Amino acid sequence: MNVTFLIQQLINGLSRGAVYALIAVGFALIFSVLKFSNFGHGGLISVSAFAGYFFAGVLKFNPVVSVILSAVVGALLGVLLDFIAFKNLRKHKSPSIYYFVSSITAGILFMNVLTIFFGTTFYSIPPFFSQPTINLGNIIIAKLDATIFIVCSVLLAAVMLVINKTSLGLALRAVSMDADTAKLMGMNSNAVVTFTFLIAGMLAGVSGIFLGANFTVDPFIGNMVAKGFIASVVGGLGSLPGSIAGALMLGVIEVILTTACGDIITPALIFVFMLIFLLIRPQGISGKFIQEKA
Amino acid sequence: MSSFLLSLITFSAITVIGVVSIFPLTGLTGLFSFGQAAYMAIGAYVAGICAVQLNMTVIPCILIGVLTAGLVSIIIGIPTLKLRTDYFALISMCLGEAITAILRKFSTVTGGAGGLSNIPNYVGTTAIVISAIVIIAIVACFKNSSFGRMSLAIKNDELAAKSFGINVYSHKLKVYLFTSMIAGYCGGLYAFYIRFIDPSMFGWTKSSEWVIFLFFGGINSLTGSVISAILLSVLPEFLRFATEARIVMYSILILLVINFRPQGLLGEYELSLESIKKLFHKSKKLQGGGNNGTT
Repeated sequence: MNVTFLIQQLINGLSRGAVYALIAVGFALIFSVLKFSNFGHGGLISVSAFAGYFFAGVLKFNPVVSVILSAVVGALLGVLLDFIAFKNLRKHKSPSIYYFVSSITAGILFMNVLTIFFGTTFYSIPPFFSQPTINLGNIIIAKLDATIFIVCSVLLAAVMLVINKTSLGLALRAVSMDADTAKLMGMNSNAVVTFTFLIAGMLAGVSGIFLGANFTVDPFIGNMVAKGFIASVVGGLGSLPGSIAGALMLGVIEVILTTACGDIITPALIFVFMLIFLLIRPQGISGKFIQEKA
Repeated sequence: MSSFLLSLITFSAITVIGVVSIFPLTGLTGLFSFGQAAYMAIGAYVAGICAVQLNMTVIPCILIGVLTAGLVSIIIGIPTLKLRTDYFALISMCLGEAITAILRKFSTVTGGAGGLSNIPNYVGTTAIVISAIVIIAIVACFKNSSFGRMSLAIKNDELAAKSFGINVYSHKLKVYLFTSMIAGYCGGLYAFYIRFIDPSMFGWTKSSEWVIFLFFGGINSLTGSVISAILLSVLPEFLRFATEARIVMYSILILLVINFRPQGLLGEYELSLESIKKLFHKSKKLQGGGNNGTT
């Protein structure tokens, strides 16, 4: 194995990891505020991938407009998801396990509504660039991958900035620590949660159209959310920087394993890797360990 | 009986076994597994391979399948049950993916993605229905035993359970072993009934379907999970739409139940002689004490 090949694999892995990072952050965001794993995220990704196909493939908007529009669609869907699946649960203060089941069901619902309208056929979003690759010596970088990487980095930086620097972010962090106390302090926790779903939905929207452009669009593309889940657990549940690191690592490892051992057995090897990782470092990369009732 | 009705009964009995197999784990101990279908896959494939390649008879086939499922559950359980329940859920989900990947990879033995066919038809509807009833009885005994109550204690407060001298880790391991073996048995029956199995039948959607059924019936009630398993596997067959529309229908149904009746269809209610007596008693009281308004 020569150096160029390794660098090439690393680049491929990082660009795949960047998409996983978008999913994982949307996932971790909800986890940090509501303390449950939101599998409904997959439904949002599927629907926004189709929205992306609609904007870029059918209406032939240019890529920038398409990405922005699918982000908007994703954000609106996030709010809708909150409304149909979680609003009542929050009102009843149900245990987090109910959120979990509710989110999975909502995800299945979204994907199957899509299947009713579009069938299980594959749709492809037309390529964003007429000249798809950049050649740097022996290394080939797909422009799409580079764009995904840059857009993901910018978006994630923006989300981190909003969470860490603005008063809205402060409110969000307060609610994530203790929703009831935040309410007593005069915050509208419900609105904050809705806002969280808005951001998570937006991230899902962007990852949806990028996943669709990178692979093909079908109703079950949202099952990629499992990768986001793995990344956010490896990174440390609920920690945003951790889940980004976890996602990048997962992307690189996955690409390397796929080229080394083939496509079919990779999920099994990733499973083994994860098992070993969690045995060595159960608190995840970030080391932030969310305490259950002591 | 028409063959349609027979196959409907058989498939709902298989679903009942599947849902009941996760009841001790999720309902009693509070552990979430999205990989129980993986144990079903192990049971089905091991039994199927034993029958197809080694020409063994039905009982040793299923037995070997169940034991293999149990062995795998111990191997997976030893490192993961020490971790937080979230991680356990994750690892169980990935286990499902890993098992299907392995089944696809070793195609010379398992038939790969094309599936394993020509499995002899060893089990009929009667055997499966009887198995379902026996398994329900075993799990009911489990729930009422001190072992089941220990599980409930762990679900409600792990720390308190520990301070009362329950060895949480080994208890979880035992429950996991128990449930995985039931799932393996379910797989064996399934393989010998349907006679063709492929890896995509046992993905995490199947496992989460079982969890969803359990929730629909009420997580604390065995009766509820049996009823919901029957209801949710029979109902879609009678509402003759396209498959997707049926799935949409029952996702909506489940969302409604979770949102507006979070304790599930039956809540804590269990069907037993006492509860039936109580029900009669109550209705009598209601009739007698109706005029003074106190019940």
